[in-house]
Amino acid sequence: MSRKRILNILFKEWRVVLTDFSSSLIIFGLPFLLIGQLMLYVWLGVYFAGDKAGGIAVFQHAFSKLQGAVPAVAALSTAEQFRVLLLNQFSFFLLLIPVMIAMNTVTFSIVDEKLSGSLEALLSTPVRTWELLLGKALAGAVPALLMTWIVGGVFLGVVAAVGWGNLIGMVVTPVWFMSLFLLTPAITVLSFLLGVLGSARAKDSKSAQNLSLVIIFPLFALIAVQVTGIVWFTWLSALVLAAVLIGIDYLVLRLAVSLFQRESIIVRWR
Amino acid sequence: MAIIEVNGLTRKFSDRIAVDGLTFQVNQGEVLGFLGPNGAGKTTTIRMLAGIIAPTSGGATVAGLRIPGDAEKLHESIGMLTETPGFYDRLSAGFNLTYFAGFYNGFDAQAQSEKYLKSMGLWERRDSRVGTFSKGMKQRLALARALLHEPKVLFLDEPTAGLDPEAAREVRDLIKRLSAEGRTVFVSTHNLAEAEELCHRIAIIRTSLLAIDTGQNLRDRFFRRQVIVRVQNMTPAIQEAARRLTFVKQMQVAGNELTIEMSEPEQNRPELVQAVVNEGGRVLDVFENKQPLEDIYLKLVHEENGNEP
Repeated sequence: MSRKRILNILFKEWRVVLTDFSSSLIIFGLPFLLIGQLMLYVWLGVYFAGDKAGGIAVFQHAFSKLQGAVPAVAALSTAEQFRVLLLNQFSFFLLLIPVMIAMNTVTFSIVDEKLSGSLEALLSTPVRTWELLLGKALAGAVPALLMTWIVGGVFLGVVAAVGWGNLIGMVVTPVWFMSLFLLTPAITVLSFLLGVLGSARAKDSKSAQNLSLVIIFPLFALIAVQVTGIVWFTWLSALVLAAVLIGIDYLVLRLAVSLFQRESIIVRWR
Repeated sequence: MAIIEVNGLTRKFSDRIAVDGLTFQVNQGEVLGFLGPNGAGKTTTIRMLAGIIAPTSGGATVAGLRIPGDAEKLHESIGMLTETPGFYDRLSAGFNLTYFAGFYNGFDAQAQSEKYLKSMGLWERRDSRVGTFSKGMKQRLALARALLHEPKVLFLDEPTAGLDPEAAREVRDLIKRLSAEGRTVFVSTHNLAEAEELCHRIAIIRTSLLAIDTGQNLRDRFFRRQVIVRVQNMTPAIQEAARRLTFVKQMQVAGNELTIEMSEPEQNRPELVQAVVNEGGRVLDVFENKQPLEDIYLKLVHEENGNEP
């Protein structure tokens, strides 16, 4: 029965999104903007700083980490190495997609229902709190994850199309796959659970978004540490991180269920 | 047989007592009206009985299930019409109903949605977005939602509030139909005439229960019954003949009208008319002067408050 109820919530949420142009745009349009932006960033970075990057301390550190992870990189010119370094960040930039979609969709999901009056009707059905919260989180997480994978595939196509196809073998590494198929789903679910949690604790749409932003934003730290090479993810560290995140996902779901106070939402929210 | 049994039901919010020691029963198939001023605890009582919020103390049994208890099971047995209809305005009426039906066990959500869309006269509009519906249509749709899983007990929180007279009439007719089908209906309302029209018994609350009975019994409790006789040719002899009748407790004369207090008008009215006619009176009209329920309500609510009505 739980599966049926969760699917019921999923299909309803998807219908609501598909009838709203701005939400659809965030989910189906924004990820592609990210590819364009990143390709521009790689091109500009290499064009203006490619040869000089080897002389900058922070990049020297990142280059040595990169060469350790992908030995073939050592044979490339400094500019090419810099391009590989930047292209390698893309799998972590992909993490932005679910985080951004979560902040713009799921953060409103509970609070909007409360404000429209449908939440009380929903809570007078036999739906359980965890079914409701997981359904809401997955309703956003599933399309966000699919979009992330699609964008990942499109990115590789674009890299080949602009004539950097010889570098793809140095970008699509085990860490790339780990990141795309383990880290990204774990972070996606986490973002959406945190979004639902924020929405469940907020009293209106604005506070829902503010609260969720504060909760979700620290996830960007993952990208920062990777770009600067402070921490270089190997397939093992990516695997461990994914396992830790899956554990956190479970704990956050438990936390969200315990913090979702039906009474307080029904009685005190106006 | 009681299907709702409430025992000492109490709810506090911080230091404020919202509902204080309610005790009453509702029989299967009965329509109980729940009356009270704003903030009297009507919605809080409904929410407690519907298992949405927990009582601070006391409890209840609804459809054989304890409150507080397993809310999921309880929600399978009750239907609830909330104060605000609360739908997904951008989705169709049909989808909205099928969605809510999807949370219940043991029936075909599509078939039930179709049944109640037809029953509420909304089948033709099943593919229209709920956002395009009038208030009355939304209220009918909300009633359909409350009935989807064929609940034994229905809680209706101000079902006609904010509706125009025609839409309110439609909703009242639906409630009568539900009652005729043998469902137990617990309805909170501000509309006293509506309560009297729809309900077998009326409960008046202001945090605690002030009275619960049929409309007529409440009248008998608080006001004496009066019969008014309008005569075309009022004479002192007619007045005297009426006053002599043993069942007449008190009588007032105003123009060609006699207002007579008696305990059993149904029994005594023919004898009264006979006495007037015997004295040559030409009777134009005889009717019971029903004290408006509003008077009883105001008397109770203000007495409780220590104020004059």
